[in-house]
Amino acid sequence: MSHSTSKSVAIATVPELLAHALAMETEAAERYGELAVQMEIHRKTAVAVIFRRLESAEKKHLAEITEMCRNVELPHYAPWDFKWTGAESPEAIDTGRVHYQLSVREAILLAYEHERKAAEFYAGVADSAQAADVKEMARQFAAEEQEHIGWLEGWLAQCGPADALALEDPDPPLGQE
Amino acid sequence: MESCAQKKKYAAKDYKSDLKPIWCPGCGDYTVLNAITRALAELALPPEEVAVVSGIGCSSRIPAYTSVYGFHGVHGRALPVATGLKLARPDLTVLVTGGDGDGFSIGGNHFLHACRRNVDLTYIVMDNQVYGMTKGQASPTTAPDWEGSKLTPEGTGINPFQPLVVGLASGANFVARVSSSDPVNMAQIIVEAIRHPGFSLVQVLSPCVTFRPEQAEWRDIVRTAVVDVTDDAARAARRLMTDDGFNVGKVLYKGSRPPFRPEFENTSGSVAELEARFAL
Amino acid sequence: MTVQSVSLVIAGSGGAGVVTAGSLLLEAAANAGWYALMSRSSGPQIRGGEAAAMLRFATEPIMSHDDSFHLLMAIDWENIGRFSAEIPLIATSLIVGDPAHGPAPAALLGGKPREAALAMTAIAEKIESGRPNMVALGAIAALIGLPPEAMQAVVEQHLKRKGQAAIDASMAAFHAGVTAAADLPATPKLPAVAAASEPRWSITGNEATGLGVIRGGVRFVAAYPITPATEVLEWLAPSLAKVGGVLVQAEDELASINQIIGASYGGVPAMTATSGPGLSLMIESLGLAVAAEVPLVVVDVMRVGPSTGIATKSEQSDLNIAVYGLHGDAPHIVVAANSVADCLFTTQWAVHLAEAMQTPTLVLTDQAMGQARAIVPRPAELAFIGQRLTATAAVEGERYKRYAVTASGVSPMAIPGTAGLTHTADGLEHNEFGTPSSQASDHQAQMDKRSRKLTQFNYGDHWAEIIDADAGPGDLAIITWGSSTGPAREALRRFSDAGGKARLISVRLIAPVQPEKMAAALAGITRAVVVEQSHSGQFYRMLRAFYDLPKDTRSLHQAGPLAFGPGRILEQLNAWSS
Repeated sequence: MSHSTSKSVAIATVPELLAHALAMETEAAERYGELAVQMEIHRKTAVAVIFRRLESAEKKHLAEITEMCRNVELPHYAPWDFKWTGAESPEAIDTGRVHYQLSVREAILLAYEHERKAAEFYAGVADSAQAADVKEMARQFAAEEQEHIGWLEGWLAQCGPADALALEDPDPPLGQE
Repeated sequence: MESCAQKKKYAAKDYKSDLKPIWCPGCGDYTVLNAITRALAELALPPEEVAVVSGIGCSSRIPAYTSVYGFHGVHGRALPVATGLKLARPDLTVLVTGGDGDGFSIGGNHFLHACRRNVDLTYIVMDNQVYGMTKGQASPTTAPDWEGSKLTPEGTGINPFQPLVVGLASGANFVARVSSSDPVNMAQIIVEAIRHPGFSLVQVLSPCVTFRPEQAEWRDIVRTAVVDVTDDAARAARRLMTDDGFNVGKVLYKGSRPPFRPEFENTSGSVAELEARFAL
Repeated sequence: MTVQSVSLVIAGSGGAGVVTAGSLLLEAAANAGWYALMSRSSGPQIRGGEAAAMLRFATEPIMSHDDSFHLLMAIDWENIGRFSAEIPLIATSLIVGDPAHGPAPAALLGGKPREAALAMTAIAEKIESGRPNMVALGAIAALIGLPPEAMQAVVEQHLKRKGQAAIDASMAAFHAGVTAAADLPATPKLPAVAAASEPRWSITGNEATGLGVIRGGVRFVAAYPITPATEVLEWLAPSLAKVGGVLVQAEDELASINQIIGASYGGVPAMTATSGPGLSLMIESLGLAVAAEVPLVVVDVMRVGPSTGIATKSEQSDLNIAVYGLHGDAPHIVVAANSVADCLFTTQWAVHLAEAMQTPTLVLTDQAMGQARAIVPRPAELAFIGQRLTATAAVEGERYKRYAVTASGVSPMAIPGTAGLTHTADGLEHNEFGTPSSQASDHQAQMDKRSRKLTQFNYGDHWAEIIDADAGPGDLAIITWGSSTGPAREALRRFSDAGGKARLISVRLIAPVQPEKMAAALAGITRAVVVEQSHSGQFYRMLRAFYDLPKDTRSLHQAGPLAFGPGRILEQLNAWSS
């Protein structure tokens, strides 16, 4: 799988970059956790396990970045003021794209897509940054994302072709209130 | 720019409870919950000073998923509960959440009068054009030719309700339409809605992936509205009546009508004075 | 001849000023030091319909109308036949009509009352701006012994703004009536009372209801107009504002009940008032208040049902819906006022019960007492101990349980704004935290707790008003509730005056039932009559379901709007003792 071209992202200072990284990792960890819960609630254990592993990886990233932010005065961004290239922070899977019968393969592909977006975001920052420290840090973050991408590629290779029967639902929806 | 420490007293997750949502995976309502919690964090409102009120339906489950004060009432009556709460406790920030069936069918009369009364509430309606909790019946906003329900196998044949137009005609002070596919934009609009005095109506196109799977396409159909906010309700209504329902992401109308807020006056009157009027 | 009380009716059609005349007469009676009860009956028209003001005056407190009226003063005869059943006239009664309107209709003459003529129209025409109703009042005053000065003061007060000429014209017509009464046959007179022996109030049941909830601490009221409850809300609107409260007009009864749920959840004691049709609409949300444990008070000023029924007339037929109307097992409180003045006590008590037990409390009054005005001894000052149990601070390391299972069944309630105690109140069955739960064990535990808080509460002696004849209870009892208490009380008194022994039990706490207290009250009683104003004997059936009644227990029930006179109840007591 090849890397797509990164989009330029105008981030001038290390605190700005850290604020973005902190938000991105927080949202990614939370989102993977939420998706894991959704899958657990609906007894989709295999998919839930994937999301839990990713949540755990993101939490680790988050802890590292939180550590880096110590003693740094971070600027405040409203959710809509971040310089993401898409609607949300790039690493958070769009909740609207999962579904009840999400297969392990689809889950990995979704995660892969968003991890790549994260890497591209950092690459974009590195490409367009003027300041050397910003460039350096962004490159480092991009490389870390690349590590997740590598895992996902490995998982994908293990999970085999799409299951043709995946969309059959033996448990129709129930009426509630 | 404010520093993080100065501004960010709360994170979005501080407004989420430990209760795990029972919505179907892919449901638009997850996004709405995220947008609400982000909006509250951005407003840095102490959780105990916020209340979320709802009726019955999938989207009406939201209060329990938040960490603020919540009230989960009966079907269709969220708006009067919220009205009573806000009028009795003007110090609270009161949000109302619910769906199209709850708000525009069984609760339709309250919707009209909540708009008219213009109490300082923010009403977030997750519109998926279907009753989800009862397994997929046509709602007031369902297209007349939708044949997906056993209850109306040949479609309802009746005209869909236009919540925003009706809201404008009834006096809502703030009208916006957003899509669950853009949670950040939604959070921004909700912040504006909460900040705007009076009754703020936010319609969220929030797909029901179980009973209206075709709504998964909404994310590709919606487009950012190309109009600027107006204070002319007639103009806003005209735009809404001629669009296809998929122009989203903008505040469409902001009025300046003062909110209804009867004062609890700290009067010097006493019960004894009231009683004196009966004395012979 | 001097009797204990005088009963009269002023009747007429639109424009005759019947209700105004009745009100003036009541005020004048108050000035004369008397006690009084005035109820009204009217046709369905907004204007121009037939109307009747029924008044009873006495030199001591009264709570009921008599079995018949001494005097019917008819300003005209238009549609008066519609009231004939509500105006019992007997051979000693006197009908006074205006010859200008012809003879009295036959419907009024069944009891062979005496008849007399008073040319009210003709007399009024001779006085500039004179009105027939003032002539009628003059005649009535002369007939019943009301001093003219008592009326003078009332007229001056009412017509102050219209000027001296208006006052003079009215009083001239009044005095002409007094003079003309010399030619009328005599009716019983009440003695003048030099000065009232105790402080008195002039109040309607609906006003007393409003005052009761304010005394109880209610500061938020949602209102949707409905006859005959509207006056409660209209009185509250300005009155609440004076004591720092708020009344909001809602779009319908579904909204009014839910608004008060919201306000009360917010920590402000709240109520609404309605009548049968409105109560029907509120029922689902009353169940919500039971489940979510939100204290509130709903007053039902009952009228004739079912459906729209007879909106302007009274019946005690909402007992079933008040007690059994909620779906599911929904423990709640139902209390009933037993007189105009008791509306004050009972509604104040209702607020206390609702707040103390965090549950909806229904108060049943009715059109007969709600729209009646009475001159009564000043009601006692009251204060109930015990308010809403609130949670005010988080306990370190413990998650707040809104619906904690406690010994009393009452759980400390966190009011929004309290840090660390956020929760969601829910109409869905829930666990102690308020989290929705479909588990049988949670349902059982929460049902037990909601039920326990009502059954373990100490209602004291207020559950019923129990009165014994002077010679003691003997073995006879009248069991009744609400408006039927007035005539029952008078029946007991007459029975007692004749040396009879009996006990009156008027049940104020309808639900939850109090079997032990009732058993104690019925100790030694072998025969009982259950008196109520409903077609199906709702109260009797409820008593049979929940209480051990004497073997010989009879049901005396009839549909509204006719009320039992004391005589019908006395008949039963006399039949037993003879």
